[in-house]
Amino acid sequence: MPKKYETPLLDELEKGPFPSFVTEIKKAAARSDMAADELGQLEKSYRDKRGYWKHGGIVGVRGYGSGVIGRYSSLADQFPDVANFHTVRINCTSGFFYTSKFLKEMCDIWDKYGSGLTNLHGSTGDLVLLGTNTENLEPIFAEFSSRGWDLGGSGSALRTPSCCVGPARCEWSNIDTLGITYSVTQEFQDEMHRPAFPYKFKIKTAGCAVDCIASIARADLSIIGTWKGKIAVDQGEVANYAKKGMKIQEEIVNKCPSKCMSYDGKELKIDDDNCVRCMHCIAKMTKALKPTGEKGATILMGSKAPFVIGATLSWVIVPFMKLEEPYDELKDLIRKMWEFWDEHGKNRERIGELVIRKGMREFLEFIGIDPVPQQVKEPRRDPFFFWTEADLQK
Amino acid sequence: MAAPQRRTDIGPPHFKEFLPPVIQKNYGDWKHHEVLSGGVMVHTANSGDKLWSVRVASPRLLSTDTIRDYAAMAEKYCGGYIRFTTRNNVEFLVSDEKNLEPLQKELNSKKYMMGGIGPRISNIVHTQGWIHCHSAASDASGIVKVLMDEFADYFTTKETPNKVRLAVACCVNMCGAVHCSDIAVVAIHRKVPTIDHDKVKNMCEIPSTIAACPTGAISPEPSKKSVKINADKCMYCGNCFTVCPPIEIHDPEYDGVAIVVGGKVGNLRSNPKFSKLAIPFIKNNPPRWPEVTAAVKKILDAYIAGAEKHERVGEWIERIGWEKFFKITGLPFTFQHIDDFVVARETFRTAATFKW
Amino acid sequence: MEKAEVAQKIYELVEKSTGKKKLKSSDIQKTISADLNITRDDVKAALKDLVDEGKLIYTYFGGSFVEIPPK
Repeated sequence: MPKKYETPLLDELEKGPFPSFVTEIKKAAARSDMAADELGQLEKSYRDKRGYWKHGGIVGVRGYGSGVIGRYSSLADQFPDVANFHTVRINCTSGFFYTSKFLKEMCDIWDKYGSGLTNLHGSTGDLVLLGTNTENLEPIFAEFSSRGWDLGGSGSALRTPSCCVGPARCEWSNIDTLGITYSVTQEFQDEMHRPAFPYKFKIKTAGCAVDCIASIARADLSIIGTWKGKIAVDQGEVANYAKKGMKIQEEIVNKCPSKCMSYDGKELKIDDDNCVRCMHCIAKMTKALKPTGEKGATILMGSKAPFVIGATLSWVIVPFMKLEEPYDELKDLIRKMWEFWDEHGKNRERIGELVIRKGMREFLEFIGIDPVPQQVKEPRRDPFFFWTEADLQK
Repeated sequence: MAAPQRRTDIGPPHFKEFLPPVIQKNYGDWKHHEVLSGGVMVHTANSGDKLWSVRVASPRLLSTDTIRDYAAMAEKYCGGYIRFTTRNNVEFLVSDEKNLEPLQKELNSKKYMMGGIGPRISNIVHTQGWIHCHSAASDASGIVKVLMDEFADYFTTKETPNKVRLAVACCVNMCGAVHCSDIAVVAIHRKVPTIDHDKVKNMCEIPSTIAACPTGAISPEPSKKSVKINADKCMYCGNCFTVCPPIEIHDPEYDGVAIVVGGKVGNLRSNPKFSKLAIPFIKNNPPRWPEVTAAVKKILDAYIAGAEKHERVGEWIERIGWEKFFKITGLPFTFQHIDDFVVARETFRTAATFKW
Repeated sequence: MEKAEVAQKIYELVEKSTGKKKLKSSDIQKTISADLNITRDDVKAALKDLVDEGKLIYTYFGGSFVEIPPK
């Protein structure tokens, strides 16, 4: 019979319509002393208004330097079953698709070797097994890897790449987000499992500018699907939207950021040359509007949360890249970016921070990309620019 | 029984093994989709095949019991196929229309919440908080729970002018996309950390500890083989604590949360935006943080009342102006709202045009 | 140069730095490849062996490092 704690504060979070994480912990705690101590310690955190976890140390299974996040209770005397309570990151599938067969196997393994608690999914996209002790790590890895699953990234490594649902279930995807993610993940297994970077590196792939994976906000390399060509208009479907009550002038034409649309009550016209492919009209009138022509992606880099220089959004480095198997151009670009970072980056410096520190010119020259206006919102304002010897000879 | 043979560097299995047959057949060949209700949408392929997705909220933190229940329902109604969304929802993938009703019936009877599709509040992206994080200044799951309880109707049925993306981060490290969400809660510290010099000596590398500080507030303290912190420069981010735990940043009395608004990641209509500060501090008041819920509700209500159809929170605020936003919501504007970090001068008003 | 010799040099470098400066994998690759005039891939391969054998381990503390495992 596992331990039991009184949890009057957490019990308050079992009330209300939204599914309760407390109920989830209690379910696991009915079987697992680890989950029970997690619950007990969490109640204490709620009472004391502070966390009681320590981090660091252990990072993986034999041979790996990532995939496991070391966690230790700072109240190990009171809650000995979470004295060490590590996270195991299992590399998710592209697009987060699973079968019931796998989920049940995962549950069996995790009930045997861990707390029975999970995150589906962690912020980066891993399938997170939340809480086990050190001696269980090797058996867990053997169970998963023998079934064809591997650990995800952590630490100063390539983190588990992730993507939107893409062509699996979305008519807007310009690229095979799942295929790219799978291919890149397989290509860079060493970079994922044996941390050798200055800091973390995230790759996120979105099929279009709606960016359901938030790649532009939280990836060192953001791949966003786009196209070069016209938006095909099905005027019959436009009429249907109007008939169903859509105010096309107000909701679509007026909201177009580049003012490249017009509507006379009968026909919707698009000046494709001035379209910036923001996706608003397509998303709202999905039956009537379809991108045509060449498909590919815009490659951006550098977004991250606030540490250390404030939050950044990714910025354009390659306005358009065709992305077709085996994605060699993309992989070569990634390798070049890492080479630059390896040469100049400091410990805990993200690649975007490095490029800001060194300047875009040095970076673009290193990776062999020419300057184009699509890379900036506007040219520089100040007169303080550099000239190299080569520039002077031009 | 001997442990199975471990393998390294195999990567994840190929996703195709996990796609339902209707997706394998129509991969990359979808024509359009329709939102049938807050929790159900149907995708139609060029072949005429259809796929219904039933979206259900999850608390992200799941026991194996609940996952087994998902698996059982997926087997019963979806041929065993299921997926998860980037916002921690579960999606049951139904290829046979006659399974749609019974699935929804079972979900309802088990009190699962269907919703999150269309112009609504979807599930909240969040971090580990006190459940498992070393640097948490507040809990994340608890705040998510009380916010989603409060706004449950906006998840299941009621509509908002456009999607409202909420996020909760338990410290300024912001695992997740708090910095680009419509309305987000981010936990903060407010006091200069204290240093246990004896432990710093043994546990920490001085150069990396100094480099971790965004404002250059940390310098060597050679006599103690440790570091010192310039209190005037410290803005309590806690990055030093992560690199060097004997620099203690937690302070239950002064830790709490800030609320930021107006961010977005999509490119639709207007460019992606950062979230900006609306409320600099609300104290931690577990288990249900009523002040946080009330504050978010105030902002959400003002948005619903004021925004045009399809406008996200940030687009609405930019149209009316931030001065108007503070006026409408009645939120106090303080010194903390004026940027004094890296992009400060970009945020000052360099025009004589503004509203009273 | 034999892989085992490279591994020995790596181990010595890590041993020498212990308690002074934590080394990242890239520090080791840069230093050893320059010292021995070999490619970084050669260093990586030797380092991989050391970690696979458990003679060195990766650790994390605000960044990933290579260290000698605690006794």
